[in-house]
Parts: sequence; structure tokens; C-alpha cells
Amino acid sequence: MKAWLKPAAVVLALVALALSLPPLRPLIEQSMVWHMLVQMPLLVLAGACAGLAWAPVAGAALKGGVPRWNRFGLSGYMLAQCLLAYWMIPALVDRAVVLPAADAAKIISLWLAGLALQQAHTRAPLAVQLFFLGYGLPMMAWLGLYLASTDLRLCNAYSLESQINAGRGLLALSVGLGVVWAVALVRRSRGGWTAATI
Amino acid sequence: MNASPRSASGTEGLAGTFALTLGVLLAGLAAIFHATAGGTAFTTETLRRNQVAQAAVPVPDFQVVDSSGRVQGLRELLAGDGRVWIVDFVYTRCQTLCLALGTVFQQLQDQIEAQGLQGQVGLLSISFDPLQDRPPALADYARRMRMQPGLWRVLSLQSESDRRRLLDSFGIMVVPAPLGEFEHNAALHLVTPQGQLVRILGIDEAPRALALAAKLATP
Repeated sequence: MKAWLKPAAVVLALVALALSLPPLRPLIEQSMVWHMLVQMPLLVLAGACAGLAWAPVAGAALKGGVPRWNRFGLSGYMLAQCLLAYWMIPALVDRAVVLPAADAAKIISLWLAGLALQQAHTRAPLAVQLFFLGYGLPMMAWLGLYLASTDLRLCNAYSLESQINAGRGLLALSVGLGVVWAVALVRRSRGGWTAATI
Repeated sequence: MNASPRSASGTEGLAGTFALTLGVLLAGLAAIFHATAGGTAFTTETLRRNQVAQAAVPVPDFQVVDSSGRVQGLRELLAGDGRVWIVDFVYTRCQTLCLALGTVFQQLQDQIEAQGLQGQVGLLSISFDPLQDRPPALADYARRMRMQPGLWRVLSLQSESDRRRLLDSFGIMVVPAPLGEFEHNAALHLVTPQGQLVRILGIDEAPRALALAAKLATP
């Protein structure tokens, strides 16, 4: 395990949390880009880093109890998928801006989504990865295209201009994640495909 | 769930994982179903309109000022002569969205006159920028919009401290935009003489709003 993972997990979580508190809160209140493309991904990344850093320790303590419920990463992917879809709904993005309780729920659940995603991804065979990413990434790309192209303001909390920028960002993010996944796949497959990896 | 702790290799012992995955999926769908009013409303604006259509919301009372400088209670003004009001929210410096809204209201004004509904339906524009929009600004706006006195009125809050409560009660969110402008959710709000907000319609639904208002006024 890399030594920087633990501090990275803590720093990412603190930065993401700081964006919900003064003096940084106006950033996510006024810009959909800061909210959906900076804070939300940071939370997911912080959760994933925490999984990478602490899962081996926690796994030993639990004697493999949790992984048994997450065979092939199925439940972990499903949890992450549900949480991410939930926080992409415009009405709920608005709620997180207006209601502190909803914002707290968002912070906890997206961090958890990152953790679940990491735990699932390390266990999932290629077919399961393809199933969930093949659904999740196009969903994100579609939402990005829609936000960038519609004349309707979908979030009452944000201006149309902010929405268009966030839409373009979501599209870029979904394409970027797809590329990262494909590159990782190619590197992993240098040893040749086996039935177990697929 | 009754997952037996079998070996963690191969496809044995998947029952627990399957059960949990299904449970997570159902819980996720339930949460999204709940948050979107049964999958019918994915934006705050649709949720707001559905809620008002289901149960009318009482409009709070504020001291408002009109273009002649007369101060009056909003509820008293609404009760006025028993007309149903179509209400919109504006700020008079607006160059963008409110102009579209202003055009819609001008067309509504023409329609009210054409259909002879002056006694049943009134138009009300309320400013959410009470610092800038004092009576002279309101009078200028009324001139620019060619408001017919009595048929279409423009108001501002007497006290800036009521602004938050006014916007919250109608569910309006105002977002600062470049060049000192504002962006806000624009809609047509139907308010009864009893001060009940009974329907919210989109600005592209003006004919329907007028028909509904006329129907509400003659029960």
C-alpha cells in the first residue's frame, strides 16, 4: 500500500467538506460546476482513497465478513450507482444548496459511494465492471449533454450559464473516466486474458 | 437474509450478495421515488407546482407600496374587489427574462380586455428588489409596460426585511447573474381574493392561466 494514501484520503475529505462551510460555501452555492464537478467528485474520490488506505486493515479485523456480502462487487456497485444517480437529480442538487440537512446527507452518502465503488471495483470481474460502468457513464454523459443543451433552467439555485458549464463538465468527466478505465484495463491485460478476469 | 458462510471462491455463497444487492436497489429506487414525488418531478420547479396544485398555500401578509407611493397590506389588496390575481415576480431593471414575462403579461392584459374579464381577473407584478424598486421606478416600469391602471398593478415591498419571506412563500429562488442582473424561476401564480396561492403555471401557459383564473372568479 502506498504511504500517501491515508493522508490523501483525509485531505480530500477535508477539502470537500470545507466547500460546504463558510468561507468557501458561496462557491458551491453560486456555481453548479463547483458543486457537481469539484465537490461531488472530491467526496467520491475521498471515499475511494479511504477504501484503498484502510480496507486491508478493516478487512483483517472483520475476517472477510463484509466482502462476503459484496461478491464480485455486486452490492457495492449497486449502492454507488443508486447514490450517484440520486445526487444527479436537479431537485436534489437544489435541496443540498438550500437545506443544510440535505447537504450533510449528500456529503456522507457520496463519500460512502466512493468507498463502495472502490470496494466493488477491486472485486468485480470485467463483465460486472462493464455492466455497471456501461450504464453509469453513459447516464452521466446523457445528463451532461442535456444540461448543456436545454434552455430550461433545471436547478432553481443556478443560472442557465452555470448549468451549461456543468453539463459540459459532466460530459467531459464521463468520457475521461471511460478513458481511464479503458487504459487501466489494457495495462492489466498485458499478461493475456483469462476466464477469471472476464 | 439467510446467507450461509460458505467459501468465498467460485460462485458459491452468492445468496447473501444477491439479497443485499436487491435490497440496495429497492432502497435506492424507493429513495428516488420519494424524492421525485413518485417519479413525476425531477426539478424543484415541478415539485413546487405539484405541491401548490394539490394544496393551496396561504400568502403571508406584507406591507407593499405601489407606483403612486401608497402603502397597503398585501392581503387587503388581494381581497380588494374579489378579483382573482395572476401574479408574477420581477425587478424593474431587468433586461432579459422579465422582458419575456412582461410580454406575456401584456398579452394577458389584452386578452382580459378582449374577453371582458376586467371585473374577474387582475394582473399583479411584485418586485423582489425593494431597495432599487421604489415608487418612481415602479411608475416608470408601469409606463414602459403600458399597464392599464386598475387592470395591472406593480408593487414593491415596503420593507427590505420581508424579501426572504416573500420569495420563500411563493418558492422563488433569485440567483445573481452577470452585469448586476438576476435570474429567477419565472411563472404565473394564481392567487384568490382570500390570499390563497392555488396554482402555478409556466409562462408558456398564459391562456390556460387566464381561463383558470376566470373560472376561479366565477364559482
